[in-house]
Amino acid sequence: MPTITSSKKDLENLTGKSFTKEELEDVLLCVKGELDSIEEDELKIDIKETNRPDLWSTEGIAREIKSYIGKEKGIPEYKVLKGKRKALIDKNLEGIRPKAAYAEIRDIKITEEILLQIIQLQEKICQGYGKKREQIAIGVFDLDKVKGNVKYFAAEPSFEFIPLGFNENMSLREILIKHPKGKEYGKLIEKKEKFPLLIDENNKVLSLPPIINSDESGKVTTETKNLFVDVTGFNQEKIDLALKIMCMALADRKGKIYSVELNYGKKKFNSMQFKKEKISFELKEVNELLGTDFSKKEILKLMEKRRIKGTIKGNKLTAEFGDYRKDIIHAWDVIEDIAIAFDFNKFIPEKLNVFTLGSIKDESRKLKDLRELCVGFGLQEIASNHLTSKEVQCIKMNSKNEFVEITNPVSSNWEIFRKNLLSESLDFLSKNKHCSFPQKIFEVGRTVELNSEKETGIAEKWKLCICISHSKTNFNEIKSILEAISRELKLNHSIKEKNLSFFENGKSAVISFKEKKGFIGEVNEKTMQNFGLETKVSVLEIEI
Amino acid sequence: MHSPRLDTIAMVENTIKKNRNLSKTELWKKLPKQMMYQTFSTAIDYLIELNKIKLNDKGKIEWIEQEKIRLNEKQETEEKEYAVENKQKNSIEISETSLDSETKKIVSELSEIEGKTLKVLAEEKQELNVEELAEKAGIDLDSARRSIQWLNEKKLGKARIEKSVFVSLGEEGIKVLSNGLPEKNFLKEIGNTWKKISEIKSIPKQEINIALGNAKKKNLIELKKEKELMIKATEKGKEFIEKKSEEELMLEKLSDKEFNEKSFNEKEKQVLKFLGFRKNFLKHKEKGNEFILITEKGISAVPFLSAVKERKYNLTDAVKEIYPGKKQPYFKFVDEIKQKLVSLGFKEMNNPLIVQEFYNFDVLFQPQNHSARTWTDTYKLKKPEFGKLPDKKIVNAVKSAHENGGKTKSKGWQYKWEEKIASQLMPSAHGTAHSARQLTKGIEVPGKYFTIARCFRPDVVDATHLIEFNQLEGFVAGKNFTFRKLLGLLKEFAVEVAGAEKVKFLPDYYPFTEPSVQLNALHPKLGWVEFGGAGIFRKEITENLGIKEKCLAWGLGMDRLAMFKLKLNDIRELFSYNLNWLRKGI
Repeated sequence: MPTITSSKKDLENLTGKSFTKEELEDVLLCVKGELDSIEEDELKIDIKETNRPDLWSTEGIAREIKSYIGKEKGIPEYKVLKGKRKALIDKNLEGIRPKAAYAEIRDIKITEEILLQIIQLQEKICQGYGKKREQIAIGVFDLDKVKGNVKYFAAEPSFEFIPLGFNENMSLREILIKHPKGKEYGKLIEKKEKFPLLIDENNKVLSLPPIINSDESGKVTTETKNLFVDVTGFNQEKIDLALKIMCMALADRKGKIYSVELNYGKKKFNSMQFKKEKISFELKEVNELLGTDFSKKEILKLMEKRRIKGTIKGNKLTAEFGDYRKDIIHAWDVIEDIAIAFDFNKFIPEKLNVFTLGSIKDESRKLKDLRELCVGFGLQEIASNHLTSKEVQCIKMNSKNEFVEITNPVSSNWEIFRKNLLSESLDFLSKNKHCSFPQKIFEVGRTVELNSEKETGIAEKWKLCICISHSKTNFNEIKSILEAISRELKLNHSIKEKNLSFFENGKSAVISFKEKKGFIGEVNEKTMQNFGLETKVSVLEIEI
Repeated sequence: MHSPRLDTIAMVENTIKKNRNLSKTELWKKLPKQMMYQTFSTAIDYLIELNKIKLNDKGKIEWIEQEKIRLNEKQETEEKEYAVENKQKNSIEISETSLDSETKKIVSELSEIEGKTLKVLAEEKQELNVEELAEKAGIDLDSARRSIQWLNEKKLGKARIEKSVFVSLGEEGIKVLSNGLPEKNFLKEIGNTWKKISEIKSIPKQEINIALGNAKKKNLIELKKEKELMIKATEKGKEFIEKKSEEELMLEKLSDKEFNEKSFNEKEKQVLKFLGFRKNFLKHKEKGNEFILITEKGISAVPFLSAVKERKYNLTDAVKEIYPGKKQPYFKFVDEIKQKLVSLGFKEMNNPLIVQEFYNFDVLFQPQNHSARTWTDTYKLKKPEFGKLPDKKIVNAVKSAHENGGKTKSKGWQYKWEEKIASQLMPSAHGTAHSARQLTKGIEVPGKYFTIARCFRPDVVDATHLIEFNQLEGFVAGKNFTFRKLLGLLKEFAVEVAGAEKVKFLPDYYPFTEPSVQLNALHPKLGWVEFGGAGIFRKEITENLGIKEKCLAWGLGMDRLAMFKLKLNDIRELFSYNLNWLRKGI
């Protein structure tokens, strides 16, 4: 969910209306926006619409609000003038970053605010829609520094130019290692033999997509009058959409759009065109989905507020919209727009009145009974995390083990799924040494282990762990509890002496019943030390 | 193991006097000397039992009453002394009877153990230490210690502490015990022929001077200087190799037990002194031993012991705090919510911790190449990596939904859908993954489904974020369902489950619902709060799985509901590791 920073004054200029805070909150609903904060002139707006990058700038938000409040109607129209420039896109980019699209924006008066918005829109598109520049990277250049046709090709890593913000030549490889943007995004191309590069007719570098622009032409300021926009990636349709959204915003700022002819070898075309798309469906679907009785006229009016042109022929409704609305792929997408135009809070909620029989899972019922049984023993229930560390799960338990592991843990405290509950309970006790004894705790929770027979290769097992800690606790005390549980649940268990790494020898046993297992014993000195425990602990853990 | 000594109790008591109205933990931190919390706890328990202090309902330690009693006592004794001085010839009988009744009262309040120990002390008529007392009275050490303190308090006995030093082996001493004394090893290596100092290997270079020094001092070796220093064992030296020295015998004696310094004879003390010069050979530890001797008052109390059958309780005395077994507050709330949903006609769904991306994303129409896929910023599994996908028919239905909309009129996402990506495993990132699985398995119509799912996202943990959290999630399927009915359902939830008075609906976005809505509810204290999200499952999902009816999907922030209910401001407290909070809610 992108958060857009806007100037309230700028937004009001673009929409031609001023808003109070409450009014602003209301109109922002039309872009699925929530006002996160307002400080003097600065607005922070959360745009929940992840599928509409056209809304990720003040221009886009204003464009939508304008039709919502009736200041403008219909599908937004943009003129594309035919430019003279060509872009030669080399075949050797295949497998590296093969697709690109370009446009020129001329005669634009760039203010500080516009500059901020250009940068923000470009960033948001690349981050969200472009998956952190992997699928889309956008560059904006000073057009007056670009000479003639541009060439996009795969260059040797030893090729040199001065990257933005630096003042000396660096090789492409060096940029990946030394430049902050190279460090951040270098992984997207570092394994390729050659790197994508955009140069002009004088062989001057514009950009090393998706990493960094050159210092010369990549510097855009309030002095810049004409812009060159470059978008690269893998999918032409996606790239074209990103370019289109950039151009729409710049055209809203009174820039003139010029096309750049793309030359993929012999294949030549102009991808910068504004088209309209259509979708048709049965008229009655609108009222059927929403539970309303809107008339045809009302429906068409509501669509218009969303810049969607509706036509009705018989019982068929056709919706026509700008091709930047890639989010509309089905009738219901249009109907949601109708509901938003109407205002969600004007709908009268209707009672469901459906009778069904409720139930909890058998497993849940049993677990609840077991927990209540444990409470009956005077035990305090605790809750630990499912994600934990190897440190707690095995190193402190003096054991080695295989775990279900996370690829991208945020910290080594949460790198694996727990396999036993005991480690977590001992960790709990170690944080409560100052509380009065006896300490009697239990947890009923899920543990996770590898098991190739399961559909996920993982077995999730519910377990019960009980820890009793006071200076005189012993094996017999915990065994009494085991036997009482066994009696209540009819486990018919058996126990067998076996030395475990965390129990005292001779006071350590494994439990088995049906196909299930468990262990019982007194925690040994070494484990106590590992957890920093000072008071004896006797323990039982069983599968349920 | 955790019994405090008298001086420890005195320290605690003094600290209490100096610092009023502290909680137990606060007091513990104020102690002039550090001690183990458990020992401290026991000391506090003693003081409570002695009726010197009590814990008030706020958990603070109170003394005032005790103070009063003591002041009164003091006045009384002063008065008594005055009376005795001035009326020495007064009738003894009267004072005796009054003494008798006072003693009787004390005796009647003695515990069984105090009675036992008092008897033993009366019989022995000499000072006993804790061990002796415990053995003779047939009680454990802890009880004996406690009894000494009680009897001392009640002036029936006179307790005293004797500090003594105990000796055991130090780090180096333990090493030497198994490796042998350095000078002995050294002598063994030299033998009785002249050897060059550089040839000696049994001792590291840095220790050789010590060994040389010690051996020379004891006349065990001869030295001569040629090109290099030469060494040879003397006769005494040879003897030394054969026989165990006094030092070695002493080290052996100390090997498995510590000894009171006082228990050694003069000769042994000499040996110890010698060993003490050597670094880390010995360890000295000061320990206090408690002794008690019966007082006159104690002796006079003994005859009453047999007369008193039952101990008289002081009913207003503070007693030991105990805690009942309880459910974890958050889990208790989860139980209640489940109950509520069952009463609303909902059926509980399965909710595995780890799912195939298929259920978390693909069934829910989140394209594989789309940013929506990282929308949740999810965890991935390193091991194992892939799981199995269900029936081909279901997989193909999902595939076609993505590629071209499948049976619906939707365009789909227009890309090549890959089975391999869908079979990757992940910790489920949202509860809707379980609704998705239910949809593929088939549903009842009308049907209501729910689950309380554990979800995982790599967030930075703070007051409002956990890496593990819970979602209350589900859907309702039925004929002629509409958007208005979805709003009706949400309103019911807000009122029934969250206890909210008013609701507000905001347009929202989920890749799997259309329309999508956010539910805000008016909380009596916090104002408008986001409670959950909902929507109607996209046709691309339901229709391709053969479900004709509309499914109203909803999810509520379970953790947030619980925070309101339990009045917590920090989400981390839901899974608190604070035992006191779990026990007492404070």
